[in-house]
Amino acid sequence: MILTRGAYALPGTSLAYKTGTWRLQRPVHRHRAAPCHAACPAGEDAQAWLARLDEGDSQGAWESLVSANPLPAITGRVCHHPCERACNRGQFDQPIAIHAVERFLGDQALANDWPYPVSPPSPAAPEVAVVGAGPAGLSCAYHLLRLGYKARVFDALPEAGGTLRTALPPYRLPRGVLEAEIGRLLNLGIGFEPGVRLGRDVYLDDLRRQYPAVFLALGATRPRPWDVAGVVPAELHQGLELLKEWVSVGELPKADSVAVVGGGNTSVDIARVMRRIGVPEVHLITHRALPHPEVPEDDWMPAIPREVEQAQEEGVVFHPHTGVRRLVLRGQQLLGIELVKMKKLVQPDGSLKRVPFEGTEKVLRIEQVIPAIGEMVDPSGLESLLGCQEFLLVDAWGRVAGISGVFAGGDMRFGAGMVSIAIGDGRRAALAIAAYLQGKEPEAEPVKTIAYEQLNVNYYDHAPRAEPTLLPVAQRVGFAEVEGGLDTAQAAAEAARCFSCGSCLSCDNCWNLCPEPAVLKLPDEIPGQVRYVFDYDYCKGCGLCARECPCGFIVMEDEA
Amino acid sequence: MSTQEISLEELRQRQSRFRGLEAGHRACLGCGQALAARWVLEAAGPDVVVANATGCLEVFTTPWPESAWRVPWLHSLFENTGAVAAGLEAALKVQGKTAKALAFAGDGGTFDIGFQALSGLLEREHDVLYVCYDNEGYMNTGVQRSGSTPHAAATTTSPAGRARLGKRHLKKDILAIIASHHIAYAATASIAYPEDLKRKVRQALLITGPTFLHLHAPCPLGWGHDGSLSVEVARLAVQTGLFPLIEMERGQVIGVMPLRTIRPVADYLKLQGRFGHLFRDDPRAREELEHLQALADHNIEVFNLRADRPDPADSEGADTVRRGRRRF
Repeated sequence: MILTRGAYALPGTSLAYKTGTWRLQRPVHRHRAAPCHAACPAGEDAQAWLARLDEGDSQGAWESLVSANPLPAITGRVCHHPCERACNRGQFDQPIAIHAVERFLGDQALANDWPYPVSPPSPAAPEVAVVGAGPAGLSCAYHLLRLGYKARVFDALPEAGGTLRTALPPYRLPRGVLEAEIGRLLNLGIGFEPGVRLGRDVYLDDLRRQYPAVFLALGATRPRPWDVAGVVPAELHQGLELLKEWVSVGELPKADSVAVVGGGNTSVDIARVMRRIGVPEVHLITHRALPHPEVPEDDWMPAIPREVEQAQEEGVVFHPHTGVRRLVLRGQQLLGIELVKMKKLVQPDGSLKRVPFEGTEKVLRIEQVIPAIGEMVDPSGLESLLGCQEFLLVDAWGRVAGISGVFAGGDMRFGAGMVSIAIGDGRRAALAIAAYLQGKEPEAEPVKTIAYEQLNVNYYDHAPRAEPTLLPVAQRVGFAEVEGGLDTAQAAAEAARCFSCGSCLSCDNCWNLCPEPAVLKLPDEIPGQVRYVFDYDYCKGCGLCARECPCGFIVMEDEA
Repeated sequence: MSTQEISLEELRQRQSRFRGLEAGHRACLGCGQALAARWVLEAAGPDVVVANATGCLEVFTTPWPESAWRVPWLHSLFENTGAVAAGLEAALKVQGKTAKALAFAGDGGTFDIGFQALSGLLEREHDVLYVCYDNEGYMNTGVQRSGSTPHAAATTTSPAGRARLGKRHLKKDILAIIASHHIAYAATASIAYPEDLKRKVRQALLITGPTFLHLHAPCPLGWGHDGSLSVEVARLAVQTGLFPLIEMERGQVIGVMPLRTIRPVADYLKLQGRFGHLFRDDPRAREELEHLQALADHNIEVFNLRADRPDPADSEGADTVRRGRRRF
């Protein structure tokens, strides 16, 4: 080559100069938990399994899901899904329909018989006793298996499932799904002893002698006693008892008008059952407010908002911020109840108190009143542990204070009351039991979440949320399931809507937007591996990649 | 393949895109022009020859004896890029070569100093793509005002003080001048919309004859914002209507990018030091702010930027992200 006079340089020779020496801050890849992960009581990382599904690997997505929650077909139907309220996408358009995709994956696993990613325990592994085959007990047994331990599950009833089986109405959780998922779980090698009641057939002290650790998950099966100023009507049936009867028999004696007292899931369920058996007039009385975005959440009635909505569609009349002041009786016969409006208000001393408003009393003529104001632990066999308390006191790992080797979780402990909370309790207790058997302290799981402001939403398109179809009200009879599922295309579309908060989306933004360029892309896409590397020889630390990363996966760190 | 199996040097050689502008250049942190020039060459490909006017781009890419370019590249004078590019094109034609001649210049080299050479290039219908990297001032020589500096922006020669609040005059409407040369294709693009930018480069290269691209490229140093904000600032310039993205053929507007969300100009201005004086508690500052908002509203009206109709090119949607860069 002939080069003429004047200055010249060979192509790309600027690489000899390492502009990385200018840098004061360096970009690094940092995974942070998505808010759905932090909000899931069962400990699921929904972002992670939505990512697998978005990659087209639905079985991998399900395997990722069941690494935390072994019962997705069940929770996808009955969970109150706080993940969706936490979802960052909710601040952009609508949250991902996480529960519907969870149900889709659970149903796919049942249909295709995908094997749980768990190997059978070795015969020599220590065996842990689990009392109660509800969601907490089953979850604990499953996670013990994953950790290499054996589990033996005792239950007073002839079949596993606990409250899921006895009191969850089949229009929310069809029995076929329940049987299939729990059956698959028990087949993994979990020992199951049905018909064994604690305090009658077996005692806690015996279990403690025979097993190195015991997990108690007996649930809260006893309805909380109810009266109005010491008075109860004759022929009083508790909501929970009626619900259990309907679930097992499918029929109930019916009145012409009924008032259900209480704002939890049991009361909404029994109110909807009353409509299903043909009671024309069903009222629901609660101290709290209806779930509504403009009402502070701590005032919401504790029932799952979508169940409340469906109950309203089915004709249940809600009386929020209302209490029962008096039973209107003629002798033993109930004529009605006197209602009064009330609200929780801050008192001069700072405490919160329900204040009835004088002058708002009214009498509701009804034939039957059904209390469903909550459940408490059945103390039989646990008298020494419970003392005079309604619930067990345990720490965050489910360790019962004062007795080593005994753990508890689910509805038995104060503050639970939801299926996914019970599943999470079982998982954490299994971790704590494993640590206990190894003479260690369980390790805390720090979850640092990423906020909406840390994403760059300029790079996301608006897309409508896939809503599951609901059965028309006229067809909501008997055990017919109300909510439908998503099809494969809808589930894939939901997975594609996920912002991938705190995790790499392989979108090429950093690779495209680096002015140097100092971001290099690896030739092959390997699932689970970040595809981009920073070439710190040339990165000047401008921070553009971090600022423009849609997922907040890149953060700037000061150079030492 | 992971970083354990391949060195960074080798990986850099194996990137799945044409590297016309290499790392090791001396641009400031977050330089918009460096980004824009890389994308233009990425879209234009290796078969090009570049004439580059004096300016930041020339200085930071070629500190002797190094060059960050991987294409034939020539430094012209400030005032004659158009003429040099025309000469390059003529020489290539005589030699029977198919390489395309590109002219790169900043706003100073385009709006002011190199303007007559540019006008001659367009008038003589040379087959050249002229790219103007607009950072709205003479940044290389110390942030002096240019014909492109927007109204009310402070520079070292149009400072904000007691007498005036930044530049007195308006930004020159360069595209209207280009349009009156009746060339086959002229367009504006922004570093905030790289897919749109690259599409316009490819579109221009399809045409035999003079074409013109006006690229908005923020200058963190001259505009007074953090380097990490360059793309954000460029995006806001578009979303406020101050820098509309349009395409023209033979002087007629044939396409604009409709704005899904129109932002107030204050969102764009308050990120930049050069407009800091507009947020003083001063009636004149409020007046200037209103003036700039009126200029943006005027653009929105004249170019019909409201997204009340479908955008066939989906310019804004083209840069949304999908896992693994998948497109829907």
